[in-house]
Amino acid sequence: MGALYLLLLLAGIGCMLLLDQRFKLFFWHDPAIALLVTAVGTALFLLWDVAGIAAGVFLRGESAVASGVVLAPELPLEEPVFIVFLVLCTMVVFTGSARLLARSLRAGAADRGPSSPQRADGLALVPGTAERSAGES
Amino acid sequence: MSYPLLALIGVAAAVVCGVALTLIAFRRRPRIARGRHLLAVAATVLVLLALTAVFDNIMIAAGLFHYAPGQLFGLSLGFAPLEDFSYPLAGALLLPAMWVAFERGGTERRRDFAQLVLSSRPVSWVNTAFPFGAAYLLVAREIDWVLLVGVIYFLIPYNFAMYGINDVFDYESDAANPRKGGIEGALLSPRLHRPTLWIAALVNIPFLLLLGSAGGPASWAALAVSAFAVVAYSAPKLRFKERPFLDSLTSSTHFVSPAVVGLLLAGASLDGPILLVLAAFFLWGMAAHAFGAIQDIAPDRQAGIRSIATAIGARATARLALLLWAAAGILMLFAPWPGPLAAIIALPYLVNCAPYWFVNDENSGTTNRAWRRFIALNFFSGFLATLLMIIEWNQV
Repeated sequence: MGALYLLLLLAGIGCMLLLDQRFKLFFWHDPAIALLVTAVGTALFLLWDVAGIAAGVFLRGESAVASGVVLAPELPLEEPVFIVFLVLCTMVVFTGSARLLARSLRAGAADRGPSSPQRADGLALVPGTAERSAGES
Repeated sequence: MSYPLLALIGVAAAVVCGVALTLIAFRRRPRIARGRHLLAVAATVLVLLALTAVFDNIMIAAGLFHYAPGQLFGLSLGFAPLEDFSYPLAGALLLPAMWVAFERGGTERRRDFAQLVLSSRPVSWVNTAFPFGAAYLLVAREIDWVLLVGVIYFLIPYNFAMYGINDVFDYESDAANPRKGGIEGALLSPRLHRPTLWIAALVNIPFLLLLGSAGGPASWAALAVSAFAVVAYSAPKLRFKERPFLDSLTSSTHFVSPAVVGLLLAGASLDGPILLVLAAFFLWGMAAHAFGAIQDIAPDRQAGIRSIATAIGARATARLALLLWAAAGILMLFAPWPGPLAAIIALPYLVNCAPYWFVNDENSGTTNRAWRRFIALNFFSGFLATLLMIIEWNQV
């Protein structure tokens, strides 16, 4: 039971990476910048956590599903893993919705006729054919 | 500081940075569909707030965390206090902005990234992270942030700096050596040289400062020696790798210093038995470097590069390496139990390289076969060393 929360978080991270890989959203689109965003995001959230702990706001619970390993007072092992998951989830949701919006707008434009300006972007949901779409959308 | 104030500061900082980055992104890419981008950000905010409403409740109900009484604003959605929604909100406002400001995509970017990762020798990452982690854990006997930060540091940033600096300043001579470019080293395109050095510095310095903050002057000295050895090995002017004997000493420092840093950060004093084990490890490292240098004698001499092997020749270097490995094994016999068992680890190395007792400069390239086996042997040795450390762990 003690490892349940940690395992669920790791499974969550795994699922995000699978989505990322399938649709070439984040790490599979620009791995260097994805790593930068993940590292900076994780560091900032951790800093926020540490500030809250120092201010005496955040308290760790003695949950049965947590490992009980603490990295620092009130900072459980699971917290940085949760933060990495939060960052990946945020970015997969963002790049994914950008992709979907691009596709639906393009489909709408296609209905209106081939001369529609939105077609110029050349966006698609098919993996590999949307090299620049996530950011352009 | 109360939670509402903390949440407000976090969201405000995210809004300011997010807006600035979005403006940068819009300037950098005039063709970007701005409305569509903002719509995607709005969708992200909504999805994340909804996910938080569900999962924050579950997490608090599971007793994973709670809040100091009297620190909350008072409004909540089920168990989830209003302030908890500041995290996903800040994330959704800042992270996508950062992404669109810098991402470029494209096959070339992915190839460059793969080249940078490969240049840090992923197959060797564990060789520096393991000595740190094992040393720290055996002394501290608990997982804490120093262990986590140290393992991450000696796993990736440290190796990225060590091999990256090496590849940048060895580019010319490596290009003439067919052995480089695969498992044993990647050739870094010249246009990646400057980014490599910048990334190495920017990633290493924060980790060094963070680790230094966890220890005292002794650990600062160890971190300084470690970082210096990484730079001095291949940086211009210093070029320790081209100074016979200093090359093997420096290379061994690359692998032993993480262990020393781990011991000192965990609060150990470097007394007799620990020094004995470190000395054995150091001799092992010198032997490994010296033996590895033999295979490069011909290309090194051609390029005018000096090393321990070009200085004393293939045969003397091979014999020196064998003697160093034997000495490392013998030293371990005098370490406290279960140390003597570790003497066995020296044997496979001796067996692997003994056939080259009579190697000469002409056929020095053939030692590459033993070198390839050596890389595999290290994993086996790491396994044996781990077993011994588990015995040591259970002894106390």
